Amino acid sequence: MAKAKQAQKTQKMPSFACDYTLLVPVLLLVGIGVAMIYSASCEIALKQFGNEYYFFKKQLIFAGFGIMVMLLIRFFPYRIYRPLTYLFLAAAIILLSAVLVNGVGQTAGGATRWLRLKGVSFQPTEFAKLALIIFMAYSLTKKQDRIEELNIGFLPHVLILSLLSVLIIFQPDFGSIVFMWMLAWFVMFAGRVRILHLAGAFFLVLPVAAYLIANSAYRLKRLLIFLDPWRYPLDEGYQIIHSLMAFGSGGLLGKGFGQGYQKLFYLPAPHTDFIFSVIGEEGGWLWVLIVLILYLIILWRGIGIARSRPDFFGSLLALGITVSIALQAVVNMGVNLSLLPTKGLTLPFLSYGGTSLMINMVLVGILMNIGASRAEK
Amino acid sequence: MNWTETGKTRIKRRNRRILFLGCVFTILYIIIGVKAFYIQIIQDVNLSKRASSEYKKAVKCKGRRGTIYDVNMKELVISTRVTSIGAHPRRISHPDRIAGELLEHLDISRRTLRHQLARDAAFVWMERDVSPMQAEMLKKLDIQGLAYIPGYCRVYPNQTLAGQVLGFSGVDGNGLEGLEYYYDDYLRGSQKQWTIAKDALGRIFHREAESPFDDEGSNLILTIDSTIQFIAERALEDTVRQYQAKSGMAVAMVPQTGAIRAIAYYPRFDPNSFGDYSKYTWRNRAITDPFEPGSVMKVFTAAAALESGVYSPQSLIDCEDGSYRTGGHVIHDTHPHGLITFKEVVQFSSNIGAAKIAERVGPKRLDHTLREFGFGEKTGIDCPGETAGRLRPFQQWRTIDHANIAFGQGISVSAIQLINAVSAIANQGVMMKPRIVKAITDKNGRIIDTNEPEVRRRAVSTRTVDIMKDIMFSVTSKKGTGSRAVPSGYKVCGKTGTAQKINSRGTYENCEYNAVFVGFSPKESPKLAVIVVIDEPQKAHYGGVVAAPAFRKIVKESFNYLDIPPYQGRRHYNVAIKSRKKGA
Repeated sequence: MAKAKQAQKTQKMPSFACDYTLLVPVLLLVGIGVAMIYSASCEIALKQFGNEYYFFKKQLIFAGFGIMVMLLIRFFPYRIYRPLTYLFLAAAIILLSAVLVNGVGQTAGGATRWLRLKGVSFQPTEFAKLALIIFMAYSLTKKQDRIEELNIGFLPHVLILSLLSVLIIFQPDFGSIVFMWMLAWFVMFAGRVRILHLAGAFFLVLPVAAYLIANSAYRLKRLLIFLDPWRYPLDEGYQIIHSLMAFGSGGLLGKGFGQGYQKLFYLPAPHTDFIFSVIGEEGGWLWVLIVLILYLIILWRGIGIARSRPDFFGSLLALGITVSIALQAVVNMGVNLSLLPTKGLTLPFLSYGGTSLMINMVLVGILMNIGASRAEK
Repeated sequence: MNWTETGKTRIKRRNRRILFLGCVFTILYIIIGVKAFYIQIIQDVNLSKRASSEYKKAVKCKGRRGTIYDVNMKELVISTRVTSIGAHPRRISHPDRIAGELLEHLDISRRTLRHQLARDAAFVWMERDVSPMQAEMLKKLDIQGLAYIPGYCRVYPNQTLAGQVLGFSGVDGNGLEGLEYYYDDYLRGSQKQWTIAKDALGRIFHREAESPFDDEGSNLILTIDSTIQFIAERALEDTVRQYQAKSGMAVAMVPQTGAIRAIAYYPRFDPNSFGDYSKYTWRNRAITDPFEPGSVMKVFTAAAALESGVYSPQSLIDCEDGSYRTGGHVIHDTHPHGLITFKEVVQFSSNIGAAKIAERVGPKRLDHTLREFGFGEKTGIDCPGETAGRLRPFQQWRTIDHANIAFGQGISVSAIQLINAVSAIANQGVMMKPRIVKAITDKNGRIIDTNEPEVRRRAVSTRTVDIMKDIMFSVTSKKGTGSRAVPSGYKVCGKTGTAQKINSRGTYENCEYNAVFVGFSPKESPKLAVIVVIDEPQKAHYGGVVAAPAFRKIVKESFNYLDIPPYQGRRHYNVAIKSRKKGA
């Protein structure tokens, strides 16, 4: 509270009045998420842990904690992140490296992505995203005067991205790498980096990506399956087919809460990566639409905040946060609907996962702060 | 100035790009919404069908089949719980190892086991109808991918007893023969079908609420008494063996109620393993197979004569010393008789006498009485495949047919018809409908339907009955043909029959006979009417020699069992009771 009061003083604004345009959709999404996680995971939880509320309870705790963190972060003037940029970046790099150290990182499903500290699992890539957003905003702001120069406005960011990518590729988490590059590209685009550089690099990276895909059997397979999932109904096409079946079974109004079938061990990760399918099956297109509208509100509120900032750091930070949420949502929903090949990305606010929820709540908290401090120039 | 200018331009350009990004993501969201709409609303039917075909399955289950009890509620047929073992080969990871584990518990070779478990099928049967104990042992092995399907197995605990009456039901629980077939609608558990939904691991997570109606089949309570049935079967077996006959059948019936106490056929057949027996042993011959009754028919010819008033028991009939020409044929008697009384015609079983009586009675009246006794018509007994026998309309009778029918040739009857007709005489001329099922009960033993005694009609007057009883009693006297049918202490009314069998060419075989004895006892208040038919006895062929002793055995042992006191021993019997009372 002391800090909050201090923030109040320095920013000269009574920011207890909430940014409801952001708060309401976020709370609704978190609420829908917790409910759907219960519905999606109760059978799996029962089988794995003998307790149908296992995931539900954990998510509920994270949600409550996350809301508190969000409301708390809201009072931190966003400018304090600016000098802390390198600290965040260094922390991200250390955490990402720690995952790769034998015996520290936790492995699940063939990938080492978690750190475990006193019973709490933590996903460093999620934190790295936050660090990246802050770094991009900081760096692009600092370099505004010479932003159009390749080796100042563009290459340093690519360097940092490459560094993070190298650390993440060993986990491996190809999805997160692609996500980070895309996120950085969008922020750079907003930060006035030359389109020529961005587009040129994109076409340069393309063969590299193609090489990476072609060289990894499972990435190639994912791509093939994406192109025609029905050809691999028993192998990797299985999850995407069942995701589509879930949507198909939902129809307009859905089967009703808890009545879905695909979550019953048909969908491999109904409460994490495929929570959107469960919503589609149990809530129908109606709830798909509601979720989309909530994301749209968050998107445009974020865009509005970013556009209203006279300072570049606040604006780009707001944009980075907005794009991060929107991009994750789009990719996850796109995968669920077979618009994109399978990625390990979660749906912000909705998917089960403590780190992801927490980081997203922190992001919204920062966004709220930026939005609230519009009075200052 | 310049700086602010640049700053403003920068912000403007930045904001333009930010707006552009907002639009890009808005479009992406819209694409997602449209794709979802396409999948959920437009493609919906296709996909949801595909989905439900994966997790929904219709499951059929038959309720337990009803029990069949004898008249004393002894179980004749029961359904016991069994388990059938199946496997889901696709969920079995190491067919070889599991085959090895199963080898000890199932009666299947290792090769077959391995082959079955390695098949590319969603489901295979391993072994059907395993005992609950065996199934428990298998379950303890905790092998993934095995399926235990509960079911019922039909068991006939008395094995061959009343086999032909009970019949059998198939693997799928459908009655195929005998009472199992006839009362299938009652016995059969109702088929329940419901949809279950399975998760991806094949576990059932949802089943529709089961219908509240009772799925168990109803039980039958028979009129059959398993003790009398056993007595009849044993007597029959002894006789058939003794005379090296082809087969034999016997029926015991309560004349006053039409209740069948026993229907026996030999050779026996065990419904537990009906497949091991020839189809010919499955049939309940006493009901399904007509035969020429022979001399037994004279009883009814005589009854017709008495009904018409043409004869009295003392009327004299010239039996032509054993040879009589009528309708261009010559009729013979086995023992030549001269002038004998009407009564003696039946007592000595004279064909010529019977033919002459019939001649005077006339075809119309003979036909009428025979039909009153139920010949040429089904008795309506509740067993499948009943024959009506063959009795042509009298208009088609030639003279010789008329004469032949009088002593039981050219007419075919079933054993059940004969016993039913004789029972009518035993029951003061009133013919009851024979019945084998007494009542039907639900699973809790509550009676839901009863088969009450049913009068078919009065066949003949009581006056005729009294005379017929006397005549039939004389048959079993020392002088009569059926003297061997009498158990000591009881009065028996009966008639012997020895009928040449017709071969497939329609002519009579010289040395193939049916030996028949039909009768009832005691004379005054008949408790049982019994018929014994022995098919192709070898050493002797007279009904009085072959069938009558079997009749005696059945009646004697049954009366013993039923505690029916002998008339001569009545005094002794009372004394015995009195002395017992004193002792107590």
